[in-house]
Amino acid sequence: MVASRSRTAFNVGVILDFWARHKWVTPVVGLLGVVVFFALKSDNFAFLGSDNMRIVAAQTVQVGVCAIGMTFIMIGGGIDLSVGSVMALAAVTTALTLKAGYSCPTAVLVAMMTGALCGLANALLITGLRIVPFIATLGTLSAIRGLTRRLADNQVVRPPNEAESLVSFVQPLGSSTWLAPAIWMTLALGVAAAVVLNWTAFGRRTFALGSNELAARLSGIRVNRQKVYLYTLGGLFAGLAGLLAFANMREGDPTASAGIELQVIAAVVVGGGSLMGGQGSILGTLVGAFMLTSLVNGCTLAGWENYVQEIAIGAIIVMAVALDYFRRRRLTER
Amino acid sequence: MRFAAALSVLAAGLLVLGCGKSDSPEAGGKTSGLRFAVIPKGLTHEHWKAVEAGAKKAATEVGNVEIIYKSAPKEDDTQLQINLVESFVSSRVDGIILAPLSDQALVRPVRLAVQAKIPVIIFDSPLAGQVGKDFVCYIGTDNYRAGTLAGQRLGEVMEGKGTVLLLRYAESSASTREREQGFLDALKKDFADIAVIDPPQYAGADVNSGKKAAENMITAHLGKFEGVFCPNETSAAGMLIALEDRQLAGKARFVGFDANPRVIAGLRDRKLDGVVLQDPFKMGYQSVKQMLDHLAGKPVPPSTDTGAAVATPENVDSPEIYRLLHPLEAAVSRGS
Repeated sequence: MVASRSRTAFNVGVILDFWARHKWVTPVVGLLGVVVFFALKSDNFAFLGSDNMRIVAAQTVQVGVCAIGMTFIMIGGGIDLSVGSVMALAAVTTALTLKAGYSCPTAVLVAMMTGALCGLANALLITGLRIVPFIATLGTLSAIRGLTRRLADNQVVRPPNEAESLVSFVQPLGSSTWLAPAIWMTLALGVAAAVVLNWTAFGRRTFALGSNELAARLSGIRVNRQKVYLYTLGGLFAGLAGLLAFANMREGDPTASAGIELQVIAAVVVGGGSLMGGQGSILGTLVGAFMLTSLVNGCTLAGWENYVQEIAIGAIIVMAVALDYFRRRRLTER
Repeated sequence: MRFAAALSVLAAGLLVLGCGKSDSPEAGGKTSGLRFAVIPKGLTHEHWKAVEAGAKKAATEVGNVEIIYKSAPKEDDTQLQINLVESFVSSRVDGIILAPLSDQALVRPVRLAVQAKIPVIIFDSPLAGQVGKDFVCYIGTDNYRAGTLAGQRLGEVMEGKGTVLLLRYAESSASTREREQGFLDALKKDFADIAVIDPPQYAGADVNSGKKAAENMITAHLGKFEGVFCPNETSAAGMLIALEDRQLAGKARFVGFDANPRVIAGLRDRKLDGVVLQDPFKMGYQSVKQMLDHLAGKPVPPSTDTGAAVATPENVDSPEIYRLLHPLEAAVSRGS
């Protein structure tokens, strides 16, 4: 009797220790919970059908790609509120490039350049004028949106040729690569980003910067230069996400993607990122983004109203952060 | 201290005078140099471009009317539109022509305009106020009747049987709600054998959100519907992409509302069986004309239906449909 009780206690302890040591466990288990829940809720497990899963994955790529960049920035102790506006700007510049008769590869390059330049502008405001990132990017959120409207002349920009290769890039079904190519691209970018974060000096400098900026500076890291890299990288990813938004809508809408920054930040936070910096992982972020899209899709399949999914998303964000706090406390107590 | 206060009051007074002075020659007479604020729901839809063209056409015909065409930056931000109306009231324009984003929320700012003796004409979407008291008149599509046109067209192409999927637009939008109701009532009345799937989901403001909602709804009801109705431009465009991706375009019968180039191309490819078209040019034109009549003391009808027509793959090249599909081209040719 005593032996069996101590054994179960031992087992629970092992599980909790495993949970505490591996930060990916919380988001992955959370995602599994969401998936199983909606599989049971939908008719004939329609939620788990391969078509539906491919659609949910395709719906995740915009937030997912953007959130990879945001993960870098947030691990480095910063934040970028302007990504929604950057996405719209990149979508519009892409559309304008195609409309002017240039090829798809040129348009892709333009989208990435647009994003990177916006990120660079953010970085220069933050490092040059020493404005806190929240405020600096709050400013560029509005300014870039205005610039986008000006560039698009307040109209939806529709390139004459529908850029078939770009469009098929995000098509959830019927592509030769089973999953939409954009999903493969997101996964590849995720793997590359995870490698950079975990196994390179650049990644270590990012974590050091976000954990303790002063200590990072004293240990010889060029803090400002690192910030410039991080925000430019974040902008580049936002530009790519804007390209995906263009491909998805097949038009450059200057009003689109507003408010998406909150979904992006939510994905990072649900995946174990912290607004205080020094925390986060690419796997967690992508799982977080997929979880949030699954939730919206699952609520539709279950026939629930929009307010249910809004409450559920809020609950998941708060729960994820609370669980992560307990996880880290358990880790430090041992 | 007191000197500084006096100085600042003086400076403020001068500032006000200076501003007032630049306005005074325009605000002087009732018939010369009038300024009308035209507030659409958004700027990016084709629909609002046609409204602008119509309003400006009417203004140039009269000669001395200035149209200030300004919208809240995003189509679903009611708060920003309220602020916009209020700032036009305080800048003392001679008339406000408004397409309310919400039939309830805009009542208060419209009453504010009436208190300031600025007449308001409501166009495109209804306002839950009293005509003749809160606002001069309503000019727009009879959305309920336009919705019944959509229901009749979809019922005909489905030959009176099968199941229809309805993708609603937004909770707060009265115009699309009336279209949805007209659509449902027409099906109930003339095509009682057609069943309707009416999930509590909404397409939202842009093509991106509309496509997402359409994808999720198609998955949820795959194989259980033969027809689709979308009550505005962006929801129809999002649905069209979602149907194309699912290889369902052309197989499911599909009626949309309001056109953009993609929707028209879909109509020509018979991926859509019908698109209900409004006459936004006429809305803008009539609003300015009736505002002028009202200011001149002439009576105006409390409500004007600017009409609606159904474009089909068969009639898409007829002159009447061409004019509605290309309001801007038509405006140019009418202007010249």
